[in-house]
Amino acid sequence: MKKGLKLSDILVTIIIALIFGLIYKLWGPLYGIVSTVGLHAEQLIYGMWFIAATVAFLIIRKPGVAFLAEIAAAQGEFIFGGEWGVTILIYGFVQGIGAELVFAAFRYKRFNVFVVSLAGAASAVASIILGFYYGYAGDLTLWNLMLMFGFRIISGIVIAGIFAYFIVAALEKTGVTNLVRPITTDDYKALD
Amino acid sequence: MQIDFSFQETWFHKINPSLKFIFIVLLFIGLLFIHNINFLINFLFAPLLIYLFFTGHPWKRLCLIAIPFLIIFITSSTSMIFFGKGDITWFEWGLVHISEESFFRGLHLGLRGFVFAVLGVVFALTTRPVFLFYSLMQQLKLKPKYAYSFMASIRLLPIMVEELQTLRYALKVRGVQDYKGMKGFYKKLKAYSIPLLAQSIRRAHRIAIAMEAKRFSIVQNRTYYYQIGFSKVDLFFVIYFLIFILLAYLLTLYMSYVNIEDVRYNGN
Repeated sequence: MKKGLKLSDILVTIIIALIFGLIYKLWGPLYGIVSTVGLHAEQLIYGMWFIAATVAFLIIRKPGVAFLAEIAAAQGEFIFGGEWGVTILIYGFVQGIGAELVFAAFRYKRFNVFVVSLAGAASAVASIILGFYYGYAGDLTLWNLMLMFGFRIISGIVIAGIFAYFIVAALEKTGVTNLVRPITTDDYKALD
Repeated sequence: MQIDFSFQETWFHKINPSLKFIFIVLLFIGLLFIHNINFLINFLFAPLLIYLFFTGHPWKRLCLIAIPFLIIFITSSTSMIFFGKGDITWFEWGLVHISEESFFRGLHLGLRGFVFAVLGVVFALTTRPVFLFYSLMQQLKLKPKYAYSFMASIRLLPIMVEELQTLRYALKVRGVQDYKGMKGFYKKLKAYSIPLLAQSIRRAHRIAIAMEAKRFSIVQNRTYYYQIGFSKVDLFFVIYFLIFILLAYLLTLYMSYVNIEDVRYNGN
């Protein structure tokens, strides 16, 4: 067995990231309008930015996939001139690290709702830390800050965690996940 | 529908893509440590001039692309203006509390978002993705399996967009109902993502196997169809920004638009 990701793992990961990028683009602008009010309602779908990482990891189940998915999503947005420009690259980078660290902490061996939700929350926390530097988040009044962070973490857990888990569970029924997942000992046992 | 996207090639297109990429990321990190709004306003001209004169795209298109810049400016400044900390109150209404400090901090954030948006769009308008990945492979030793995967995925994008469109029509024609709230969000997410994911993963997997068979992932003794190197333009590009940074700095020393040197909150 060669270590590291194969070309097929990489390509599938990137494609997954791009799909969620597309879906987000489809109804993302709608939420942009809400955000101008400043009450952070848009934060409730912020988890859509993290979902690529968790879904890709649940499908492929290899180290590095979550990080790569976030990078791919950000890179795609950047190359095609997304309106957030360079900012998105850096955010994608730290969010990917956030999710990847959680999966690494469980040695890439746990794929349940709890771990995935934790990864979603970790991405949210990572983006919040960057927000302190980029957006002077510390200089918002406390209630507003709490509202923003609360919404974002909840969104990370619900969308990138719970929703991602159920989407992949539904996807398993289509059989495509068998194409890309590494072979486990259970598969060998099934042959006996 | 065929969209005309022709443009004139300028010196900005000829810059080494890796260099351009790294330099812009470094600019981003550097600007995170700029808290003086006067400096930011001065520096703004560097990316703006490139956007206006050196991208080689027609004016009409540039104006159209600029619309989201305004939205970026508004969305990244408002919450700070309305709800930021500050002592010199200008306006208060319920939860909204606009102070002098929060206003300029918000403005600073808006300008920051604007600068990065312009830099990003300038990059996108003047860099061909294929050249970027070839350059990343040659100059930064990015593994070919990553570079070619990214390039292949860019080619697959139009098919995915088409599928998404078909899916929308299919859902519409069958009268699929929209639900409100989080439940509706999940239903919609599922309705779109499952078929798209299933199809695209199958396709990506097939293509990847073919690419592996054709040794796209090999690292040693590779030759490249596009040879990308450095030229004088690269030096010019770096000097351009260094001069603007210096000018912005000097101008800030001798002249200021607003009498604020640090937009961060330092009161109690």
